[in-house]
Amino acid sequence: MTEAHETTPIQKRWMGAALKVGTPLISAALAIGVGSIIVWASGYDPGAAFAALFQGALGTPKAIGDTMLKSTPLILTGLAVAYGFRAGLFNIGAEGQLFMGGLATVALGLALGDVSWFLAVPLMIVAAMAAGASWAFIPATLKARIGAHEVITTMMFTYIGRYLVGWLVNGPMKEPGGIPQTYALPANAQLPRIASLFSEGAKGAVPLLNLGRAHLGIVVALLAALAVWLILKYTTLGYENRAVGYNRWASETAGISVQWTTVKALCISGALAGLAGAVEVMGVHHRLFDQFSSGFGFTGIAVALLAKKHPLGVIPAAFLFGALAAGAGTMQFQADVPQKIISIIQALVIFFVAAEEIVLWFVRRRQKEAMSHAG
Amino acid sequence: MLGDIITPDLFAAALRMATPLALAAIGGTICERSGVINIALEGMMLTGAFFGTAVVLVTNSPWLGVLGAVGAGVIMASVHAFASINLRADQTVSGTAINLLALGMTGFLMEIWYGHPGTTDQIGVLRPVLTLDAPGGGFLPEVWRWVSGIFLSHTPIVYITILIAITAQWAVYHTKWGLRLRALGEHPRAVDTVGVNVLRGRWVAVLISGGLAGLAGANLTIEQVGSFTEGMTNGRGFIALAANIFGRWTPVGSYLAALLFGFADALQIKLQILRGVISVPPQFFLMLPYVLTVIVLAGVIGRAVAPAASGIPYRKG
Repeated sequence: MTEAHETTPIQKRWMGAALKVGTPLISAALAIGVGSIIVWASGYDPGAAFAALFQGALGTPKAIGDTMLKSTPLILTGLAVAYGFRAGLFNIGAEGQLFMGGLATVALGLALGDVSWFLAVPLMIVAAMAAGASWAFIPATLKARIGAHEVITTMMFTYIGRYLVGWLVNGPMKEPGGIPQTYALPANAQLPRIASLFSEGAKGAVPLLNLGRAHLGIVVALLAALAVWLILKYTTLGYENRAVGYNRWASETAGISVQWTTVKALCISGALAGLAGAVEVMGVHHRLFDQFSSGFGFTGIAVALLAKKHPLGVIPAAFLFGALAAGAGTMQFQADVPQKIISIIQALVIFFVAAEEIVLWFVRRRQKEAMSHAG
Repeated sequence: MLGDIITPDLFAAALRMATPLALAAIGGTICERSGVINIALEGMMLTGAFFGTAVVLVTNSPWLGVLGAVGAGVIMASVHAFASINLRADQTVSGTAINLLALGMTGFLMEIWYGHPGTTDQIGVLRPVLTLDAPGGGFLPEVWRWVSGIFLSHTPIVYITILIAITAQWAVYHTKWGLRLRALGEHPRAVDTVGVNVLRGRWVAVLISGGLAGLAGANLTIEQVGSFTEGMTNGRGFIALAANIFGRWTPVGSYLAALLFGFADALQIKLQILRGVISVPPQFFLMLPYVLTVIVLAGVIGRAVAPAASGIPYRKG
């Protein structure tokens, strides 16, 4: 490897950055490639499938709105999982924390009654984050104090949370009638649709503003991503979080309380997942029922990994999965391919990101080829 | 009322409910003893449950279905083995990928093979090995009623599981293979130094765990339920992991821990039937196994020590 001596530090830095962005891109491409092979092997036309998927995800302003709608909770659950990862914790139970966030949002929203939107919405957001954090608190404490594996405990709490919500929407919080769901939130406790903020004239002039069901939650999600990035990069809290994630023993020696940092990390992660539940309820369903989350907590794992655990990387990663989710319906409708292919692609993304060596092997081969061409 | 709850069939149900947990937990034990964490037991079990059902639907033979389930578990395990052993991927993450893959794949195949999501058609199931007539009154017949009711009313895999637990215990602690397996999880470098192939040893352990998880899936569909439903494993793979820890990474310990969870599940179902008497919402009963899992983990972990090299990929040289 004589070439290595000739690369300048700046070149190295650029190559590092390219790898950082490049490997997730290749992972996603590989996953979609394998997904296409599965579609093809199942007797469908992958070309038609992806054309329909694209149409449903980005083809019209309304479709773009749907992609934004699906991306919104995914940004937040992706942040939740990523924040945990940065402290060396795997919060596999974001789904349960999201449920509790949704629950707190609806409970408070219905109780508040006729207060100003500017008071109601922030209060509900705080309540949802507290609920999500509280659902992570016991797993966090067990992890910090006796090392109980957070993968098992947060997963168990996800099941417990789902059954709890199942009971509430079938019992104490049930709206009269046949459907197991709560009452709808009043307008002052909802996040408005983006399209509703513009006049008909403006939407006529700029068709892109007809964003369909996309709601203001996307702003909340983007601000949260920015906040998490700032916290991780510039605060003591974030520094300790990262330090414990890199090396618990060195952190302990350096005077950081690993136990306390663990509790904080998992609770903040839970709070972000709870926030995802809040925006989903306030922006989309306006009420609570059993199936209000389509696995956003679990998809958040794929988002965080594809983002390489970087809070700003979470945004494009969430948009990718949001687009897949938004286009899946159109794909099933037009090309007859079952929507479940999307979950397979998600799993493949996680797999390829985890098995980075495959991707790196591709990259290295490319580099070698490039070098041999150059030489 | 207590007489309505404490019956032979409560304990029989405990044995039955413990079986899939025990199989997966023993699989988890063997896998982790070799130094590989298997978070993917859930997905391997689900895949086994699905392909077991699919094979029975085609061949109409429950035993071929069992074989299909074990095979499917092994194939899923080979993905985990390749990622975590050869590619040195993060084992927890690779396991999560397999769990989600299993969920997506079984759902996808349901739709393209059977044309609808949800639940498959009913399949021919494995029957209990023995069928015994209930004896008449008296003390000895009463004892017999309990013994036969609890122990002699089961389907084949329930007994196979007990045999597997005992065999695995013997194999892990009293054979050369077992000694190497334990060494792989404690100090792989030492095993490598004496000329044993670390990667191959771990591969074998991961494949065994996949086969056992697949068998657990077969027990669910081909013995207990008689059909496949999407996501039907319902966290059993994770509870099995907890059982493996509670059983301190030993096969018989895992089995006994699984019995505890099985009993909780059996009790939960029994109490649901008596719901008219005690008015507690069913969701609270359904939570019971998950709550118990957290409590058990909270109570035991401090004193349980995982294999030292568990979760750490091995790099030769």
